[in-house]
Amino acid sequence: MQSTFQRYALAPISCGIALAVAWPIDAPASCFLLAVMVSSLFGGLGPGLLSVGLSALAFEHFFLGRTIPPAVEPALYLRFAVFLIAGLVITALMEVKRRVEQSRNRAEEDLRQAQVDLARVSRVTTMGELTASLAHEVNQPIAAAVTDANTCLRWLKRDQPDLEEAREAAARVVKDVSRASEIVSRVRVLFKKGTAQRELVDMNRVIREMVALTRSEATQHSTSIGAELAPDLPQVMGDRVQLQQVLMNLMVNGIDAMNDARQTRELTIKSQRADHEHIQISVSDTGVGLPSDQSDQIFNAFFTTKPHGTGMGLRISRSIIESHGGRLWAENNAPRGATFHFTLPNKAGTHE
Amino acid sequence: MAARRNTKLVAIVDDDDLIRSALHGLLKSIGLPSQTFASSEEFLKSGRQHQTACLIADIRMPGMSGLELQAKLNADHCRIPTIFITAHGDERMRMQALRAGAVEFMAKPFDDEALLASVRAALEC
Repeated sequence: MQSTFQRYALAPISCGIALAVAWPIDAPASCFLLAVMVSSLFGGLGPGLLSVGLSALAFEHFFLGRTIPPAVEPALYLRFAVFLIAGLVITALMEVKRRVEQSRNRAEEDLRQAQVDLARVSRVTTMGELTASLAHEVNQPIAAAVTDANTCLRWLKRDQPDLEEAREAAARVVKDVSRASEIVSRVRVLFKKGTAQRELVDMNRVIREMVALTRSEATQHSTSIGAELAPDLPQVMGDRVQLQQVLMNLMVNGIDAMNDARQTRELTIKSQRADHEHIQISVSDTGVGLPSDQSDQIFNAFFTTKPHGTGMGLRISRSIIESHGGRLWAENNAPRGATFHFTLPNKAGTHE
Repeated sequence: MAARRNTKLVAIVDDDDLIRSALHGLLKSIGLPSQTFASSEEFLKSGRQHQTACLIADIRMPGMSGLELQAKLNADHCRIPTIFITAHGDERMRMQALRAGAVEFMAKPFDDEALLASVRAALEC
């Protein structure tokens, strides 16, 4: 990024060069227009306008009064006017071009940010990763604690109990359990990010990002994803990453539910106003549907119908939605499949 | 063979420091000296494998896994009675370990009595 001084310096420099070239060949308009183009393309709106001004001055000073006597032909002033307009138009066009590129760059940056968010969400996600790694990590110090406690008992059960050894073993138990507690609190930090990580979130935007991110996963499973988003959806106050996590969980569940479906596999995400104070998001699939007598049980911890499921996804999703002041529930679709709905209080409905 | 039985060294290979000290402490309580190693590589580099009468090893470790260690020792004609203790225990892995000559395959947290019984059995091999 050039400094402001460098950018503005372009204007007098390019106009100076243009003047030097234009003087001998008497082609001021073309040369100065080139200078304006260079200044506005590489410098920006300000330098562009500055170069228009400088060029106009130079044009007026060096070229308009050239004839002797200094006759002022209307034609010359017409040329001058045309030159000025051309200069301003060029500057404006360059500015438009630059704005378009900026917004494209911003879109790319947004996508990159969403991918970073997704990577983090995937790491912390409820789809088995978190609980599996937590279970493994915390199992080590727990197993060590069981062994050390048993060792302590062995020393004490002897005919001649060795108190020093027993004490050492007991001290090891304390160390083991402290390590286990450390692991758990580390996970909690990953999860919670502090109570006040709330910001204004546009759920339509989140949905669009999630759809873009899961599109390749969906096509791999021959599933189509569609979104029906309410155009005037109000924003909500919430933790963006957690809400992404919930959407991700519901969408992946939907894709998984359609794994065995032989007919069309469609995942649809819908957003709408629920009432004056809430919005409602619905994720529908055309898969196996909910086990009929267990429609609320699916939200219990450790309930899973997947062979390698952990059963934590929906439980955690519901906790997240409830902590935002909303509700998460599910129902079957006709003819087949299930829909998961959740509500969130919109900005107006949030009591802070 | 006879020399190994006399020294009765028990080797513990696990990347987790708390597990190592817990096992060392447990074996000490029944009068069995043991040596701990933080990785399979450390164990192999130590040269102690030829004096080891019983090996207690974790399966999943960064670097060489417990099963890979077992394979390497077998390939070097250094058959040490091995007890695997692991946080992950599936049936397929258990079969694989037992087929390659493991004495026992236990999941964490393990029963200390069962472990000690296996160690005693291993030392009688």
